[in-house]
Amino acid sequence: MAKAAIVGVGMTPFGKFPDKTLADIGWPSVKAAIADAGIDPKKIEACYCGTGLGGMMAGQRVLGRIGLTGIPITNIENACSSSSTALQQAVMAIRAGKYEAVLVIGVEKLSKFGGGTLPLEKEDWEVQNGMVMPALYAMRANRYMHEYGLTHEQLARVSVKNRKNGASNPDAQMRKEVSVEEVLSSRMIAEPFTLLQCCPIGDGAAALVVCSEKLARSLRTDPVFVAASDLTSGKFTSGFRDMTTPEITVRGAKEAYEEAGLGPRDIDVAEVHDAFSIAELLYYEAFGFCERGEAGALIDAGETDIGGRIPVNPSGGLLAKGHPIGATGAAQAVEITRQLRGQCGVRQVENAKTGLIHATGGGIAGFDHGACSIHILTI
Amino acid sequence: MKSDGTSTHSGKLLGEAFLSHDKAGRPQLVGALCEACRTAFFPPAEVCPSCASEEVVDEPFPLTGTIYTLSTVHVAASVWDVPYTIGYVDLPNGARVFSHFKGDVGIGTEVELSRAVVGKDLEGAKIESFVFVPVEA
Repeated sequence: MAKAAIVGVGMTPFGKFPDKTLADIGWPSVKAAIADAGIDPKKIEACYCGTGLGGMMAGQRVLGRIGLTGIPITNIENACSSSSTALQQAVMAIRAGKYEAVLVIGVEKLSKFGGGTLPLEKEDWEVQNGMVMPALYAMRANRYMHEYGLTHEQLARVSVKNRKNGASNPDAQMRKEVSVEEVLSSRMIAEPFTLLQCCPIGDGAAALVVCSEKLARSLRTDPVFVAASDLTSGKFTSGFRDMTTPEITVRGAKEAYEEAGLGPRDIDVAEVHDAFSIAELLYYEAFGFCERGEAGALIDAGETDIGGRIPVNPSGGLLAKGHPIGATGAAQAVEITRQLRGQCGVRQVENAKTGLIHATGGGIAGFDHGACSIHILTI
Repeated sequence: MKSDGTSTHSGKLLGEAFLSHDKAGRPQLVGALCEACRTAFFPPAEVCPSCASEEVVDEPFPLTGTIYTLSTVHVAASVWDVPYTIGYVDLPNGARVFSHFKGDVGIGTEVELSRAVVGKDLEGAKIESFVFVPVEA
């Protein structure tokens, strides 16, 4: 089976661009990825475009701006895992030998909804009865605090760490550091989450050029290889589910590690789905970076700082970089690719050779989450 | 159509189709039971989400349960009276029910069914819902 590699990355800095169309938010990241790859655009044979709420024909709208049309375009909606799924589909096609070079795009414009929490599926029973995403995650936090004694300060430390990382990331939406006090005294959204413990609503795009090993090595001396490409969805249950462990990520992580022949100790750097402060802590455990119940201790010890044992979210994560949901997966791949190439400057994780990216989303009743896509990248 | 995903309710009772009373007149939820695999679930549906059987019947649910987790929401669509508290009740028949809560509640509180106003629609008509409240000591 052919190996897939990422040879080009590009990103539209995340922010709020209500006056730009989705297509105009998207195309600069595509041009940047193609230039980064040094590939002739005509060699791109297909495109996989992820967007959660961008509307129909998102890929065509973006590529229409730059004349990259007439190739097969697959538009993908998988909530917050949309562009991770797009990457997974691209990798599958390259591995199958169907294409030599494809484009992956993640693009989103959430500012079109004005303010407030993310619009969820109206036909969902819980949504109709008042469920909002911050509350769903807050419930996980409350149960976890109840069972493991996690403190508000430990939750706030996730925001502090990621805002510090984001301050060094020119592509991040939030560029100012914050303190534990500022995090805990910001506006209450859904107890225990204050505003600074919730990822911001925003817009943005990211793009990747993914190709076969043979083509990759002809384009770059440092292609980033895909060691694992995993997609799974949540298991619906109407009964009692342990909300202190994200079952979908636990399953996806196991599958990804098995595919790559690697384990938690082999990961040098990770970009995980920190939509809310508790999320990153739950994912430390789901990925085996620490034991169950130990996530608070891990962050307290600074182990997930850029200089720590297992740096998590050097880009600033969703909390600081932002979370235009369909763009997030591709943006995580951009960050890890740059980390593995040694291009991250002040944010650089030393000697990063193996990285992990993880996006999971879709708040619907009965599921931990709807979708989860994990990739392990190596150089 | 509101951007937050709620439709405009008008003077309605959320979950009205699933509310009943037991023989003593106490409010009771009517959920579903799959006769094939014995899974109890809420809200009811015509097909079992566990085994896909259509041998599903209405099932009056236990009157009390235990709060598994909850959160008090301060920022939400304008139809809801904020702050409001929502979460999950675990019932003795194995079903987990999403509900609003009123009263002094926390993880582990034993709760029973009641009704309360939870918001108002754009015309100002009240939105009521079934809610769980602490069991009277």
